[in-house]
Amino acid sequence: MGADMRECVLVADDDREIVKAIGILLEGEGYEVLKAYDGLQALDILATRPVRLVLIDVMMPRLDGLSALMRIRERQNIPVIVLSAKSEDSDKVLGLSMGADDYVAKPYNPQELAARVRSHLRRYTSLGDIHAGSRSGEIANGRLLYKTDEKVLYADGEAVRLTATETKIVDLFMRNLGRVFPAEEIYRRVWEEEAYASENTVMVHIRRIREKLELNPKEPEYIKVVWGIGYKMEKQEKCS
Amino acid sequence: MDTKWKNRKNAVSFMIFGLGASLTLGSISGILRDKPDGAHIWQADQILEEDYQQSRRFRGYISGRLENFLVMACGGDLRRSWGYDGASGFLEEGSLYAQEAVQELWDGYNAALEELKELEERRANDSVDSVEYEQMQAALEEELEVYSQELDHYREELGIDQGSPEQESGRVEEHLSRETGQINEEEEKARSRRREQIAQSYHEQIRGDQNLLYTVSYDGKELYANTDQLAPGADGKPAAPQGCNFLLFFDGERVTITKDGKELDVYGDGYYRDGSDWQKESDWCVPGYRNFPVEESIKKAQVCMAVVREPMLYRESNYVDGGFGQYDNTLYWMYYNRQRNRMLLEREFACLPGGIVLLALAFLCRKGKREAAGRIAGFQAGIWAECKALLFAGGLVLVFFIVRESNMGYGLWQELREVYFYNEYRAMALTGLGGEILRNVHPAAWVLLFWCVWLLWNDFRYNRKLWKNSLTLSLYRAFSAKGLSRPLPLKMARRNALLSAAAALYGLLAAGTAIAFSSRGSALTGFLTNRGRAGVTAVVILILSAGFLVTAYLIGKKNVETARDMEALAGYISRIREGNYGAEGEAFAGHDLEAVMAQLEDIRQGMEKAVDEQMKSERMKVELIANVSHDIKTPLTSIISYVQFLKQEEGLPEHIKDYVAILDEKSQRLKNMVQDVFAVSKAASGELPMHMEKLDFGKLLCQTLADMEEEIEKSPVSFRTDFPQSPVMIMADGQRMYRVFQNLFQNAIKYSLAGSRVYVTLTADGAMAVASVKNASLMELERDKDFAERFARGDKSRTDGGSGLGLSIAQSFTQACGGEFSWETDADLFVVRVCFRIAGDKSEIIAGTETSAENN
Repeated sequence: MGADMRECVLVADDDREIVKAIGILLEGEGYEVLKAYDGLQALDILATRPVRLVLIDVMMPRLDGLSALMRIRERQNIPVIVLSAKSEDSDKVLGLSMGADDYVAKPYNPQELAARVRSHLRRYTSLGDIHAGSRSGEIANGRLLYKTDEKVLYADGEAVRLTATETKIVDLFMRNLGRVFPAEEIYRRVWEEEAYASENTVMVHIRRIREKLELNPKEPEYIKVVWGIGYKMEKQEKCS
Repeated sequence: MDTKWKNRKNAVSFMIFGLGASLTLGSISGILRDKPDGAHIWQADQILEEDYQQSRRFRGYISGRLENFLVMACGGDLRRSWGYDGASGFLEEGSLYAQEAVQELWDGYNAALEELKELEERRANDSVDSVEYEQMQAALEEELEVYSQELDHYREELGIDQGSPEQESGRVEEHLSRETGQINEEEEKARSRRREQIAQSYHEQIRGDQNLLYTVSYDGKELYANTDQLAPGADGKPAAPQGCNFLLFFDGERVTITKDGKELDVYGDGYYRDGSDWQKESDWCVPGYRNFPVEESIKKAQVCMAVVREPMLYRESNYVDGGFGQYDNTLYWMYYNRQRNRMLLEREFACLPGGIVLLALAFLCRKGKREAAGRIAGFQAGIWAECKALLFAGGLVLVFFIVRESNMGYGLWQELREVYFYNEYRAMALTGLGGEILRNVHPAAWVLLFWCVWLLWNDFRYNRKLWKNSLTLSLYRAFSAKGLSRPLPLKMARRNALLSAAAALYGLLAAGTAIAFSSRGSALTGFLTNRGRAGVTAVVILILSAGFLVTAYLIGKKNVETARDMEALAGYISRIREGNYGAEGEAFAGHDLEAVMAQLEDIRQGMEKAVDEQMKSERMKVELIANVSHDIKTPLTSIISYVQFLKQEEGLPEHIKDYVAILDEKSQRLKNMVQDVFAVSKAASGELPMHMEKLDFGKLLCQTLADMEEEIEKSPVSFRTDFPQSPVMIMADGQRMYRVFQNLFQNAIKYSLAGSRVYVTLTADGAMAVASVKNASLMELERDKDFAERFARGDKSRTDGGSGLGLSIAQSFTQACGGEFSWETDADLFVVRVCFRIAGDKSEIIAGTETSAENN
């Protein structure tokens, strides 16, 4: 990758140390990082530079993150990740509904943040119109795409290497987005035999799948436990 | 629809039973009542015998008459006759029997005298104590007095003068000796004249009854006859006159009975047997048997009796004596009763099979009958015991009146009394009385008695304690301390109702008395007369009682208002108690409780304000914590980021790497702590959003354990689980409960003795599901320590990675989900219990609305 080929990422936060830290993190990943310390500054940079992705803090002087986000959405469709110290569900919902593509709570996990940036950029640049409409034989769900004929799962456009059992589980989940499966049913349909204590076995496999496709396996976004009931593949709102 | 049909079926079953029982009982008791005397119930041919002449009574009557006629024929002493059969008129001439009576009286008098004498002797010998002596002396003297009075009466009859006791005794003795011993001719003549008189008067008495025609002759001379149709025919035997189908002829040797033209076999094998053998009927009690031979004196007598087929009622006009009377007419009444009873018996015999069939039907549908009986018992349970007792007594009184009415003056009660006084014969008399009662009690009385007893039994069978619902008990409960548990307005209303009822009753009584007084005389015209005073009193009482009633009504009205207010007040208080401070109460303007309500309203407003303020401060606290945690998070983000860079830096000296590792660990812990503090404060303030759904408690535990498998594997403790096979459904927020058990298991891992086991069990006990986590503590557990207190931990050093909020979060989250959280320590054993109410099917709907968003 040449210097001119580097993708531009805008980081906006009033805390200079955080901006600097993210800068170090993302430059390490090979991105060109533009820095802004308030909302207006961020908008100025967006107007002049070809920014591919924006990381923006909510609480900033002069123009707060969410207002800036609204202004960005008036003109551009680039991925925007909101960074905030507010970790409540309601804050997340608010940010996402204002047009953010992702929401990362502070204090964030640096690896996770980098993974998210990577994921969003790949989907934006290389896959482009993946959500325009799913072709037959393909099931799309957020970052995931499952080709039913080949039985291959793609995460951010890259094929995920799954074992046979894991593929069966993913097949079941992707074909029934949002449906909750009790462990017994998963066991019956995947292993095709009756199970006495299936919870642990299923859980082990699910954990492995998560490690392969989730950005942060400790806080999964796709394969979720419905406590006291079963497991499901979360249907991502942004893809349908 | 279904129950309605079932109810109807039950009612029909019960009606079948009731009708069957009544019919059966009524017809059986009717048959027992109406059957001819001496016939047994299984002898249907005798019971339904149409011919009145076939009865035992008829035989007795005819043989009795024959006896009388034979006595009359040979100039014998016609003894007194009893009851229906005898002609009572001539008995009034008591003087005819005075001598016998005097003898009896005299014997009694002497016996009493003897006894008295003996008593005096014993008194002299001191073999009797004074009290007994006095009592006996008094009794004997009284007896003597009665005898002497009676004797006076007969002395008059016999024309004996009164004299000194010795004289009199001598004269009566003389009189008696004449009577019994030396009978001279003159007296003999007088005596036979007297006998003749009696016979003549008897003849006069019965001759008018043309249902029985008779001729009595002696030595070829006709003495008494009430007909001339019984002249002997060519063979010396008379023929039955027109209308007669029964003819009895005694020729001095034997009795010949011709009935319907056929001669009856009177003597049989020639030996007389009375009917003491209950299976056999008595033979005709007439002379001529080998063991009942004809007396020499009546060999010259000839008696002929004819009885009509259908007797009629004969009346005697006796206008000189002022009216008319009835002749003997025994046969008519025998005939009449036979006809009537036969009609009744036919009806009863027709009803009996019907009743039995109905009873059999009732047995077939006894389930329905039983249910209906249960419902009746339920109805009975609602009636006051006093009312039931009154009704039962009323039923018995009604039975009594039916018996008395149907008895038509027959002295059943007198009979009962006599049975009671006949000491020696009581047992015998009682058996006779049984039949007598059956004969005299109307079937309706038996049926009524049966239902009275049945109702009582039914009540007892289903309700057991019959006195449970009684007026007395109700009154007692209304005023006793026990009744205090009931709501106040209800009690007040009840007492008020009682008071009003008492007032109304009193008013009615007073008014009734007043009316009774005034209606004695004419109230209007009586004002001015003496009797008018009563009228004035009546009016005054009426006015007073009306005034009392009006006052009682007004007070009662006010009381009802107060009771309603109290109800509202009680509801208001309980609303406030439940924490509903917002609602304002009624003002009760102008009511008794206005001031009370106003004060309560003040209290409510004060509390509302205090609660509002508390809520505000709680909210501020949460806001503060949220802000503080936010303010901590921003620098923490930088710390974590740069520590991360430091960790990635290569070529650092070992001791710097150690420092970085410490920084990394502590910054992570700080991050956890900040998040936990925030969560706890939110949960404590009740602002934590909850997504309640129906979930399987056991599965939740399994999933949590599976989720933490790696952690558990790495830890020095092992987990033992015991969950029920079937799902245990509860209502909770799964995510929060996961946090609860995650914390509990982490605690167990962290604070357990290495190599020990952690026991995780779930039990569903009735309505509650209890999950427990037990572990043996690594460190000694402090007694009475509140482990769920924020930042409390087993050790005080706080060197490990926890925030110290694990149990606190578990407790607040469990409580926020509506569960109960408790822990206890037993030596080194630490036990945590999480209880949830097991969710029924109803909650599924609520759960459905929560989860459906994710399931579409």
